[in-house]
Amino acid sequence: MTALSALPRPRARLRAVPTVVWMFLLVPAVVEIGMVFWPALNSFYLSLTKWNGLGAAQPVGLDNYRQLFSDEVFRGALKNNVIWAFGFGGLSVLGGLALAVALNRPRRGVSLYRSAIYLPMVFSLAVTGLFWRVQYQPDGTINTLLGAVGLGDFERQWLADPDTALYAVLVAAVWRQVGYVMVLYLAGLKGTDPTLDDAAQVDGAGAWQRFRFVTWPQLRGVNTVVFAVTVIDSLRTFDIVWAMTQGGPYHSSELLSTYMFQQGFTFLNLGYASSIAVVIFALAVVFIITYLVRATKQEVDT
Amino acid sequence: MVQSELSRRGLLAGLGGLGIAGVLGACATGNDDSSPGASSTTLTLQSSLSDADPKAALTKVVAGYTKTKVTLNTIAIETFRAQLPTYLNSGNPPDVLTWYAGSVARDYASKGFLLDVSDLWRGNGPCAGYSPALKELSTAADGKQIFVPTSYYWWGVFYRKSAFQQWGVQPPTTWDEFIAVCKTIKSKGAAPLTMGTGSTAWVASGWFDYLNLRINGAEFHRELLAGKHPFDGPEVKNVMDHYKQLLEYIDPKGRSYSWQDAVTPLASKKAGMYLIGAFVTTALPATVGDDLDFFRVPIIDASIPVAEEAPTDGFFASAKSRNTAGAKELLSYLASPPAQQEFIQVSKSSNLPTSQKVDTSTFSPLVQKGIKMLNESAAITQFFNRDSSDQMQTVADTALTKFLDKPKDVNSILAEWQASAKKVLAS
Repeated sequence: MTALSALPRPRARLRAVPTVVWMFLLVPAVVEIGMVFWPALNSFYLSLTKWNGLGAAQPVGLDNYRQLFSDEVFRGALKNNVIWAFGFGGLSVLGGLALAVALNRPRRGVSLYRSAIYLPMVFSLAVTGLFWRVQYQPDGTINTLLGAVGLGDFERQWLADPDTALYAVLVAAVWRQVGYVMVLYLAGLKGTDPTLDDAAQVDGAGAWQRFRFVTWPQLRGVNTVVFAVTVIDSLRTFDIVWAMTQGGPYHSSELLSTYMFQQGFTFLNLGYASSIAVVIFALAVVFIITYLVRATKQEVDT
Repeated sequence: MVQSELSRRGLLAGLGGLGIAGVLGACATGNDDSSPGASSTTLTLQSSLSDADPKAALTKVVAGYTKTKVTLNTIAIETFRAQLPTYLNSGNPPDVLTWYAGSVARDYASKGFLLDVSDLWRGNGPCAGYSPALKELSTAADGKQIFVPTSYYWWGVFYRKSAFQQWGVQPPTTWDEFIAVCKTIKSKGAAPLTMGTGSTAWVASGWFDYLNLRINGAEFHRELLAGKHPFDGPEVKNVMDHYKQLLEYIDPKGRSYSWQDAVTPLASKKAGMYLIGAFVTTALPATVGDDLDFFRVPIIDASIPVAEEAPTDGFFASAKSRNTAGAKELLSYLASPPAQQEFIQVSKSSNLPTSQKVDTSTFSPLVQKGIKMLNESAAITQFFNRDSSDQMQTVADTALTKFLDKPKDVNSILAEWQASAKKVLAS
């Protein structure tokens, strides 16, 4: 009975919306379709063509995609993107969560720590890149510090060495992201019920048990947000790599996004670049849909 | 966040939109062409000179042009480079644009985008007195001139006179002397050569270009860059063997530096020499001043005519300009000796004027020496990217920076270079 009476209600509410409101909604909808969805659809079409920005695009079928998978730079970039997604996602989530838990309880000076950790977030990624590039210079802070503590053997040209370049950029990106994830988790922790924690403590649960079985399950909502944000952020990473290495030395820190930019805007292979864009889009969609489906399923189950 | 991912794609399609707008524009204005009175009275000059000094200089030069109103649009160079085909192909393109001479300009000419300016090169035209090398550089495949060069610069091995005195070395003229100088400087505890190949990997092509010019000559070099010879052939292998001899003398920290960063060791005498363009003077502290000097890259094979790199900048006009007569007049003004002189002086560059009528006696001794060196050269090349394309340059950057790290893998690197170059040329 309740289910039956609940059904017609949304429709009734829809009908109750005055036409004028629909008209107002139409404007942003048209803008959204014209400026976002239509260009995005266009890039699917472009990915099936060869186009240098001049004249008409020549349709080439799936040639671009075939070329992609025999392109070593693309495969390297794909591999780097996987490393990046796990490294960037894993480290910033773990770091952010640990910091949030550590700084959750009110203590003297805790807000100072929180602000200090969040501070890098106010810099743009390009500025972060420039800042870290200076630290990584051959005579920069990092090598000087290593030398000062007797670890001179570990000194290297972080950004010029193909073995370390990607990870050096990763550290810089995580340094900035960690504060953001921390703030998200701090907000989540504020939403947890402290009495549950107290009750568990009275029952003799240890700190780890309380976190794992009492706090963590209450953070599910935040986790969804953090996961989505992290996956999207890691797939769209571009500026910091471009500012620090431009994908070099010799493509060793190339990501899909930097390779797409180079193909599209430096070489004007717009068709080929679009096919890379489509791959990025597909990856993002697959990740996010899988996760959202799982997350909503869990919510329904419980 | 999703939006920013999409907006990049939006840009791609936006380009398409521009193209369509261009076509529509062409339709809408198709009738105007019949009535001469409707030809636009304002000229547009699209400029890629976005650095402060050159921008100020061009603004000043353009302000001195009174015949027609000129709108100067300055666009950041990377955007300009990417959008240039779109500018030229649009229905109402900018009338005059800054860019480079050589194969880049020829490429656009072959697509029919550039205005034939041959009459500026004939009779009393402003370019009539320019050197034959410049004329050849500004000539398209069909024999018409499509470019107006206004300034160029030279490349050389720059050093500090006081540092050379301190180390007791003389500017070398042959390869063996050069290696000996490197050895001496190294024994004094300084890096003989500095080279910023970190964020500006193209600097590594400087030595490649010069060694190829000295060993195989300018003709071969141009043909190699046009894809007529393989990069993994014996000629290039020989070039790399010479390059390999330099590696132990190049400051390894340069791999992390940009070309500007790599100037610092030269200025502080921690490094001895730097093969770079004359634009190096803009990155040097004023205290170095007259202490800076340069020498010609040493001769390796005396039987090869001496060639130098002299990248040439200037202007071209759109074939679709609505006011071709006005565009040509503006080009003539920009090429005139007073305009050239004013531009070079206000931009504080070490560029050389293309017009021989410019009074260069007030220029610094360094610039005078540069002019003299180029005048004594048998052939002039541009630079790797200008003699080929941006995409070929990136392929070369990958190969050369890898070579700097792993000189032992030279054979596989050259094979990879050839494979990538072939792919680029086929696309």
